[in-house]
Amino acid sequence: MQSAPRNPTVVEKLRRYLISQEGVLFLIMLVAVLFLATRTDKFLTVDNLLQQGRFMTEVGLIAIPMTYIIITGGIDLSVGSIMGLTAIVLGWSWQELGFPLELAIVTGVLSGTLAGFVNGLFIVRVGVPPLIMTLATLALFRGLAEGISQARSARGYPEWFFELGQGEVLGIPTQLWLVIVSVIIFAIVLARTQLGRALYAIGNNETGARFSGLRVNRYLLLIYSFSGFMSGLAGYIFVSRVSTTRSDMGTGIELDVIAAVVLGGTSIFGGTGSVVGTMIGVVLIQLLKNGLALSGVTSDATIVVIGSVLIFAILVNNFVQLRRDGS
Amino acid sequence: MNKDKAAPTPRRPLDFLGIALAVVIIGTYFLLPFVIQPERGPSTVAVLTESKKANELGIFKTGIEIVPLAALGMLLLGAWNALVPGAARAISLLLALAGLVALVYYINFFRDYAAEQADFISQMGIAFWIMLGASAVAVLQVLIPRAVPTPRYRPAKLFGNQESVILFGLLLLVIVVGLANPRYLQERNISDNLAGNAYIAVAALGMTMVIVTGNIDISVGSLVGLLAVASGRLVVAGLPAPLAWLTPLVVGAGFGALIGFLVAYMRIPSIVVTLGMLSIIKGILIIWVQGERVTDMPADYFLSQMRPLGIPMPIIIMVLLTIGVALWMRYSATGRAFYALGGNAEAARLSGLSRRRLVMTVFILNGVFVGVASVMYSTQFNIIQATPPPALELSVITASVVGGVSILGGTGTAIGSTMATLLLNFIRSAMIFINISPFWLKAVQGLLILVTVLADLLRRRRQRL
Repeated sequence: MQSAPRNPTVVEKLRRYLISQEGVLFLIMLVAVLFLATRTDKFLTVDNLLQQGRFMTEVGLIAIPMTYIIITGGIDLSVGSIMGLTAIVLGWSWQELGFPLELAIVTGVLSGTLAGFVNGLFIVRVGVPPLIMTLATLALFRGLAEGISQARSARGYPEWFFELGQGEVLGIPTQLWLVIVSVIIFAIVLARTQLGRALYAIGNNETGARFSGLRVNRYLLLIYSFSGFMSGLAGYIFVSRVSTTRSDMGTGIELDVIAAVVLGGTSIFGGTGSVVGTMIGVVLIQLLKNGLALSGVTSDATIVVIGSVLIFAILVNNFVQLRRDGS
Repeated sequence: MNKDKAAPTPRRPLDFLGIALAVVIIGTYFLLPFVIQPERGPSTVAVLTESKKANELGIFKTGIEIVPLAALGMLLLGAWNALVPGAARAISLLLALAGLVALVYYINFFRDYAAEQADFISQMGIAFWIMLGASAVAVLQVLIPRAVPTPRYRPAKLFGNQESVILFGLLLLVIVVGLANPRYLQERNISDNLAGNAYIAVAALGMTMVIVTGNIDISVGSLVGLLAVASGRLVVAGLPAPLAWLTPLVVGAGFGALIGFLVAYMRIPSIVVTLGMLSIIKGILIIWVQGERVTDMPADYFLSQMRPLGIPMPIIIMVLLTIGVALWMRYSATGRAFYALGGNAEAARLSGLSRRRLVMTVFILNGVFVGVASVMYSTQFNIIQATPPPALELSVITASVVGGVSILGGTGTAIGSTMATLLLNFIRSAMIFINISPFWLKAVQGLLILVTVLADLLRRRRQRL
């Protein structure tokens, strides 16, 4: 972006926001919401929107570290499998090993974090490309979940366990608070802290970042572990929401998450992107799914729409950014 | 550079031992009674099955003892050649391994035979072909000496490329599992394994080309599902079978062209385009098919069940396409341009290559290969499932990647990707044969993918030193 010689006026500032990645996406979302609201009156109600917030929690939580990772030019395909692994470790350590449930939760989320750490360790120390590493662990972690559980599901959790996944605080679903707080914290971390700037630097030029004295390895290890942690947390919330533990939990969620991140304007090649954009992407996808379902489109047809929106949104954004950079 | 052009090593008498041995082995085989049985037809080796009790032919007494001796000879000669500088080392080691396989195989055979459990020739059939192939290799080895004798001998050089890493992995797997459960080596199991997964290998060929250019296609799973059902419905609707085989190729090319257009001309990253296409195609499939399986296809439709010359059709298609793609990628201008584009897009552009045209080409080609794969898949059984095989795109990408395709583009070969598909599926079936709980199957598979990739990285690191 060219730096303006004088202080920009309010209008100019507004214009700049509007044609930013997030701005364009936000407009698309607004159009979609208004269109859907005219199709059915069940869509734009507080109850429905809060319910949708509940459903998008898992994708929303995992999308934050995924944004970080994609900004550095990496990718994490194993998040869904980590979710499954966490869920299984949680249920298994509680039922089979007799851990108290609190400890089982911690064990589950920790094992998720450890899984992410293993990804990071191989990527950083051994130099396995992230796509390949997480492709391998996509199979490995899911396999561990299946092996440990032997296809048995764990149910019968006590009442308080469901608080996070099914309860409400101040009229808003509990897990939605978690998402909101996480988004605020991690959006600030990405945009305003040294860590955040380092991630962009790594994504733009990893070698350059290394030579500038950034501790690239440490940052990468951190964000992959963070991804494991958030996937683990999402796994716990998922178990709490659906009241049972199965080894196939979170299958295919990696594609939803990546779609949301990319839709949110993060370049798959790294170097650009923001948590806010990602969240708009998450919300847009969820609202489209829900709104279309409510206006009578079968849920199968909605994935056609979502796929089209993904391509279309990137197309529009490319076009707008091209115009902006050109002028 | 003059040193590199040193004259080929002069032939030593020892080198010709291979030919002699090959002649002996081939000769022995054609003299053995179970090969020459005109009344039972030319493919006796695969067909004849008898137990010891019913051993009317007296095969055991008529010279089969030569076979393990020949195998031992192959093992020793191969091992010796591998240690001698100047011989083609990788081939020598292959020879030795083949000898070992055959040897192990026969030890098992004799054990079963003594226990009166042996299915005679079905146990011996494969080793026969291994020996025959290895003999041919032995001949080749003598004819193709190493042009450049390396000053220092390093075992690491044996693993000069990903293909040999996978091949050794495959052989090791076959030996170990074959020792644990000889039934694993039965011809039926091996040919089922090859034929049943050939469609994945074909799809992986297209994927390999796409990845070599630095792109990726994650929509192949849905596309295979869609095209398979389309082909099945067309033939049920009365279209002649050859047309029903061709249609998926054309439609696949069309989808490929659409993806290629979005990637090449609209400049959307391929992972994003195909992520979108994955949803779109899957949605179309679900809406159109409504969960109904396709049945009642006419009998002449089942391409994959045909066996010209006794070899299952999928294996023929897989082998031919792999050779074709390997040669095309290596020698054609466009094939080389794919590598150039993936290796360094800017340099490729400056050398006058059109990125747009190449990307279009590679995605259209990929579409055609997906079409072929879908026909192989849809004609495999008498029913075509309404949903594509789960996570097929992951199997395909994994096969390409394990086969040595760098995900960053620029490297990778067709042969590697096909062999990786085979390895992955042999691993899967091996686990059934050595009684690992099916619930651990995926974990072991993931671990093995990781090991393969690590072996590859280790090899590259060594080569750099």
